[in-house]
Amino acid sequence: MSVKYVPVQWNPNKYVYDAVLLASVVLYIFVFLELGTAAADVTQPINGAIVRMRAFGSCAFLMLSVILAIGPLARLDRRFLPLLYNRRHFGVMTFAVALTHAVYVLGWYFAFSPTDPLVALLTANTAYGQVLGFPFEVLGIAALLVLAILAATSHDFWLSFLSPPLWKALHLLIYPAYAAAVAHVALGYLQDATNPAFALLFGGAVLTVGALHLAAWLRAPAEPTTADDWVMAGDAGDIPDGRAIVVRISPTERAAVFRNGRTLSAVSNACAHQNGPLGEGRIVYGCITCPWHGFQYRPEDGCSPAPFTEKVPTYDLKLEGRTVLVRRTAHPPGTRVEPTPLPEDVA
Amino acid sequence: MNDAGDRSEPFFIGWAKAPTGLRPFLIGVGLCLVVLFGGVGFIAAATQADPGSGRGGRGETAIGVLTYDPYPLLYVTESERYPTGHTLLLSGNAKFGVQDRASALDGRLVQVSGGPVARGDLDMLRLRNGPDGLSLVEGAPATPEVPEPVPLGRWRLTGEICDGQCYGGAMRPGTGLAHRACANLCLIGGVPPVFVSTQAVAGEEFLLLADAEGGPVTDAVLDHVAMLVDVEGEVERRGDLLVFRIDPASLQVAP
Ligand code: FES
Repeated sequence: MSVKYVPVQWNPNKYVYDAVLLASVVLYIFVFLELGTAAADVTQPINGAIVRMRAFGSCAFLMLSVILAIGPLARLDRRFLPLLYNRRHFGVMTFAVALTHAVYVLGWYFAFSPTDPLVALLTANTAYGQVLGFPFEVLGIAALLVLAILAATSHDFWLSFLSPPLWKALHLLIYPAYAAAVAHVALGYLQDATNPAFALLFGGAVLTVGALHLAAWLRAPAEPTTADDWVMAGDAGDIPDGRAIVVRISPTERAAVFRNGRTLSAVSNACAHQNGPLGEGRIVYGCITCPWHGFQYRPEDGCSPAPFTEKVPTYDLKLEGRTVLVRRTAHPPGTRVEPTPLPEDVA
Repeated sequence: MNDAGDRSEPFFIGWAKAPTGLRPFLIGVGLCLVVLFGGVGFIAAATQADPGSGRGGRGETAIGVLTYDPYPLLYVTESERYPTGHTLLLSGNAKFGVQDRASALDGRLVQVSGGPVARGDLDMLRLRNGPDGLSLVEGAPATPEVPEPVPLGRWRLTGEICDGQCYGGAMRPGTGLAHRACANLCLIGGVPPVFVSTQAVAGEEFLLLADAEGGPVTDAVLDHVAMLVDVEGEVERRGDLLVFRIDPASLQVAP
């Protein structure tokens, strides 16, 4: 919710976040190059360039796995939400680590030959019809390109330039990129790793990411019971003050019904910033506050307070006894809807 | 419907100070992350596979008879390092063969000099550039003797096709699928391909590859480099080197 774009909006939380990330990455590379490799059981030392490409490649894969675990973790346990807050820095750092891996590979496996390294990268192995021996490098290149695009468009400028739905769709490319990275490792290094430890680490990472997504998906709200144009959201007494319940309006649309003191208001569950789950947020200083990056909206009209200009759609509400109903058709973003007073018998 | 959660649960807003209630949890998560990265980094590195005993060395010189097909070889007649009668594979620097320089010297007595790579019975010399690396020995007989090939019969072998230079220790590891494209580049550049057999043949584990007629076979094997394959062909001994004259059509990924 910025009125102007600056290269990066820093704040103390981001500093701590980035410091922890950087420390983890530096530690990984240091331990891999200096301690782990020294402990490996070898007759003759492994080439330094090969050790470095392995260190950066495996680090990038681990980072990507952790990034993909954050989303479902935050859905399953809200205490993980702060990790989501600055995930884009994590992504940009992952791109940098993966690029370093690629540069080492290019400067070693694809250098010193009569063929230009970039040409060699695409021509040295053309066995696309094989599974074993497949030119797995192209899978890595594909993943790296996606990471590059995502890193380049991670700034909020691109978010507003492309519009949040398009931006979000673009950034879902991270899933095919992860699949490509998994295949890249599985058809490449994994085939040469004689010790099962690497296969266990690799399989563990992939399975964890998959299992967390499955668990988060199973926790998603069920299809609501409907009465014509109105969708049942739940019991008014179940909404704590300053919090919301989320109701599915259609397969792709959800509304968040917030309680603000003694009134109820419904807005779209998708934040105008990056589609964050507003219904998992809270009312802070009288405004619905997104759990992802803290964008704020007034409950009664879905508008960000001045000077900000973001808006989310609002919904009509009605009560049948204590049961809250939401009208299926949303109002255009920023439309004021008179808040509905809570029934007398709700404490 | 979502449960609305516990009212007292702390709520993090990026632009505000992290709520005190959440801090221990976040510090714990941060520590776990650091430990995870340190631990995985160590295990992944400490369990790297052994790249083998191949190694390079300082410059060596030898005199001997050069033969051109299937790949440039030298039958040593005089050298400090290598015994007389030993057969050396020849390649150039980096991912280059020496075919261009060797073609005019087939069957002649030459002096070679370059960096050795050695692994088990495999000896290769990576020749220096220009006449420093390969030159005719002046005044030598025009047709020195080379050992006659001794046929050892038809074999079906399982093993890995490698570039002799990386396998020999110019790169460690210089085998395996992760290294495949690199091996292909070496082979395309003219480095002799070797077959590393899982089963010893007449006491040898590595054989120089050739096609059925005894000529170069590089183009026909590129799709089968760096993995376990089965292949059939005639084995023959030349000096103390085995040459595997394969039938490329019989190449298949080993089950
Ligand atoms: S998605 Fe970023 S603040 Fe809501």
